[in-house]
Amino acid sequence: MRAHSKAAALLVSAVTVAGLAGCAGGGSDSGKTEVTWFKLTETAETANATIKEVIADFEEANPDIDIVLEERSTDAHKDALRTTLGTSGAPDIFFSWAGPGLGGEFIEAGASLDLAEYYEEYGWEERFSEAAMGTVTQYGGYDGVPYTQRGEALFYNKELFAEAGIDAAPTSYDELVAAAEKLTAAGITPIQFGGTVNWHVMRLLDSILETKCGEDGYQALVSGEASWADEECVTETFTEFQTWTSEYLNPGFISINNDESSALFFGGEAAMALEGDWFNQSVRDNGMDEASVGVFPFPTGTGRIYGFNENNYISANSEHPDEAAKFLDYITSEEAQEKLIDAFGSQSVNVNVKPEGGSELDQAWTPIFENATGVYMNNDQNLSLAQTTEYWRIQNLVATGQLDPEDAGAEFQKFIDQS
Amino acid sequence: MSTSTAPPRPRSTSGSRAQRRAAKVSKTGFIAALPFLAPALAAYLVFVVGPMIESVRISFFEWSGFQGAPQEFVGFKNYVRIFTQDPVFWTALSNTIIWVLLSLVIPVALGLTLAVALNRPLFGRNAFRSLFYIPGVLAPIAIANMWRWMYNPNFGVGATLAELFNLPWLGEIQWLGDQRLALYSIFAAFVWQIAGTNMVLFLAGLQSVVPEHIEAAKLDGASGWQIFRNVTFPALRPITVIVVVLTIINSIKVFDLIVGMTGGGPAQKTQVLALWSFTQSFGNNEYGMGNAIATVLLIITLIIVVPYMVWTARQEKNS
Repeated sequence: MRAHSKAAALLVSAVTVAGLAGCAGGGSDSGKTEVTWFKLTETAETANATIKEVIADFEEANPDIDIVLEERSTDAHKDALRTTLGTSGAPDIFFSWAGPGLGGEFIEAGASLDLAEYYEEYGWEERFSEAAMGTVTQYGGYDGVPYTQRGEALFYNKELFAEAGIDAAPTSYDELVAAAEKLTAAGITPIQFGGTVNWHVMRLLDSILETKCGEDGYQALVSGEASWADEECVTETFTEFQTWTSEYLNPGFISINNDESSALFFGGEAAMALEGDWFNQSVRDNGMDEASVGVFPFPTGTGRIYGFNENNYISANSEHPDEAAKFLDYITSEEAQEKLIDAFGSQSVNVNVKPEGGSELDQAWTPIFENATGVYMNNDQNLSLAQTTEYWRIQNLVATGQLDPEDAGAEFQKFIDQS
Repeated sequence: MSTSTAPPRPRSTSGSRAQRRAAKVSKTGFIAALPFLAPALAAYLVFVVGPMIESVRISFFEWSGFQGAPQEFVGFKNYVRIFTQDPVFWTALSNTIIWVLLSLVIPVALGLTLAVALNRPLFGRNAFRSLFYIPGVLAPIAIANMWRWMYNPNFGVGATLAELFNLPWLGEIQWLGDQRLALYSIFAAFVWQIAGTNMVLFLAGLQSVVPEHIEAAKLDGASGWQIFRNVTFPALRPITVIVVVLTIINSIKVFDLIVGMTGGGPAQKTQVLALWSFTQSFGNNEYGMGNAIATVLLIITLIIVVPYMVWTARQEKNS
């Protein structure tokens, strides 16, 4: 009995010591400095593999640093940041969308370290484009290091287009509607969306808003300079949006998520998908014949591309900012970016890395970026978090026919005025 | 003859009250039990009472939730906002009430029916008991995923059956996309999850029914329904209290199933108070609003549960 008690006491002690050791941050059993990185799970498996390869390269060159990667899906990642930033559970590095509505909230809350000294030490200002640097300095300091520059456009299934008698990718909004009409007549779902993740259908609403209100109108609305209740183009936008959701989207879109709806595009059951340049790799990974897929910008008529920037930030309370900066320097270097650009099929944030080679689909993005006169950003990055939640509620009310498009703008403006 | 009158009893004083209370405490053994109760009591104060008080406190402040961010005292402003300006609060409140009412009827009745059915000698009785109980041990988020796929308009059960039996109307039903149907579609998953747990609790209660009482009722010519109503059901009263209270608590705090199946959509039509409180705090960084909703939820819970427990305790005492 006594021996049992001693054994139990030893076991409890061992578990306690192990637990306490686990709680201690920053170090690892091997004596390496642990740098934690919270980031988004890439939708394409090969992109995830490339990220891990880049990390392995860095660790090999820096044997005293261990990068501990924690990846989550979009909404889980947002939740993780909101619950850990500013606390002792915050990572050393965190990925975030750079727009004021998402990343801006964290910076305003003081969760990001000002990286001015590292920009000077590593000469980062010369490494990144003016647009990318704009996302870093928009809050007055040097917050974050550019990670990606994303563009979103319409992917289309060439075979389904041909089946519906559409010869070329639409170049105007009217041509896009005509194409959707032809596809519907041919018994093909024109475009797929998953409505349970509100930001997916939001892409369509944002793009129609840019089409109907134009560049100045769009910017005035999202910056609060214009009233959503007074602009006629807002009503036109919601009216047009309701036509799309009732006529051209996959039936039942409101009750499935983006992964489930993307399966319709990969399986040849929907002709179009409004996705970002990361979708190239998903097309390949999901076994589609890449030659049968094309991409064209949403024909808003303004010349701007739909997109956003993503940055990696160092937490204000990181215990290892030097090591974190060293890692960020590596992943934005030409060596790492050459690898990452292949996996993402995207533009590099490093001005010295040009998208060369790649497949026809990868190359299709270059003129889209080059011809763009600017960027209209996703509205969940433009609006505050509470406004975004309300924007999505109104979007879904209109999409499901529960709110008259004529009342949608006023309903949203009422919320903005009250908040 | 001398008469003596008993001296008047001294009026109660605070000193004697304290003495009586001390004697009562000593008599009930509270002091002796205190060392054993203390750790649990301390944990309860730190992890339950403390956060509850903090939550109520934050409901009077405007705060983004970030450590270091200032907390600004705003009085009842958050309550005014949720009651008069929040476009989702009343939907969430009415959905919560609907959910509680349905929970008190359907899964409780189903659990009782299953328990009575599986309390008699039956082939495969234990297998059936296990089968019905299994959903109760699954993680709610796993159940949500499973049911979401079953309701999928393209690949789900409805779509498959519609194709198999040529029933186009069945394939057109948007189980989670139709705002009039979505809440009840999620509730079906909740019933599937919780009915087995209720069954197990009722089965435990049924073991306390004295067989001789049933035999006696049979000899007196009572029908099956009369035996259940007058012998079995009264014996189940203590366990019924537990089932009802647990059901109310489980239904008021329902969260995972809704997050996993609709996220509160379409257009917030399946929101409930627990999820809306979370969304305001962690989604919108409106911690004051989120905690005001949590406080309303706490008050509703206390209003429902406390009187019910007091009433049943009195019933117990009287019987």
